Amino acid sequence: MKPRAIVAMAGRVFLGAVLIYAGASKAAAPAEEFALVIGAYDLVPASIALPLAGLLPWLELLVGWALLLGVEARTASAVAGAMTGVFLAAIGSVLARGIQIPNCGCFGEAMHFTPAHAFLFDSLMAALCWIVFTAEPDPLSLDSWSQRGL
Amino acid sequence: MRDTFSRRIASYVLVALLSGLSVLAAGRARKPFSPDAPDFRKKGPAAAKILIVEFSDFQCPACRYAEAPVRQIFTVYGDKVRFVFKHFPLRMHEWAKPAAVAAECAGRQGKFWEYHDRLYDRQDEWTNPKADDFLLGYAQAEKLDLKAWQACRLNPSAAAAVAADQKDGENAWVGSTPTFFINGRRFVGAKQLAELGTLFMDRELKK
Repeated sequence: MKPRAIVAMAGRVFLGAVLIYAGASKAAAPAEEFALVIGAYDLVPASIALPLAGLLPWLELLVGWALLLGVEARTASAVAGAMTGVFLAAIGSVLARGIQIPNCGCFGEAMHFTPAHAFLFDSLMAALCWIVFTAEPDPLSLDSWSQRGL
Repeated sequence: MRDTFSRRIASYVLVALLSGLSVLAAGRARKPFSPDAPDFRKKGPAAAKILIVEFSDFQCPACRYAEAPVRQIFTVYGDKVRFVFKHFPLRMHEWAKPAAVAAECAGRQGKFWEYHDRLYDRQDEWTNPKADDFLLGYAQAEKLDLKAWQACRLNPSAAAAVAADQKDGENAWVGSTPTFFINGRRFVGAKQLAELGTLFMDRELKK
């Protein structure tokens, strides 16, 4: 395997693991807690915050497992990239407006990031999404198994 | 071709299955909690159709802001509501636990709600290194038996009552204060209580 392919495979696994951790820690906790954090960003009405808080962790889990196992990895990395872009825009808007939020809400109650740290972390995630998106399916992914057989 | 298709479907099913299992596994960490509290921390008729359990921290500004919608609920719904206060002093709030113990000891002399209101109404005044002096001053203002109140504060049973509430909150996955449970349904913060909680209460009362 070429070095770039190895980086892409490691990136796929890392992205998947992060999204699974983020999704599971939020999905296990009550959606109202996450809805409170979404509300603190002051970007969506309260009536949308709660359904969004219920839906987003599931999306993270599905995309996370798809990336970890390498199922439709290209599509999954595109969705992960779009989600990361939305997160970056939300965190950026909070930083620009000077809104004080103690916790970005990225990992529920499991881990607390400040908005500035979350912005840096999401930038790294976005870069990894691009690397995975532009890479060929690696031999350890289920995409390879379903296309050619292992 | 057919083999490729079935392998793909198997991969999708695996992703969906593992996602569901992740939520189930993480959700198993939740435990039941007791909504009970000493009688002096309860308000409203025991047979009321609506039971509100609040987990709150006297030093938390969001809990102070939530006092307005809580008081509004009592004005609008009156005897239809039973309210239970549970202590949930957050670790990051240095004076929240001493304040909770002080209120608990005021409660044992029948003045919990008066002391509770004073702590929220004057939150900016006592949340500083001189908190202990202010807590004593409020006890004097409420005409408590100061000797008994001070003895209660030193008695481990008051701190144990606060700790038991905290444990209940942790079991209920309370992560922020104030958290309200209205007939078992969670509402976090003043906004959710005012905007969604009252709608839920209206629906519960129509049942």
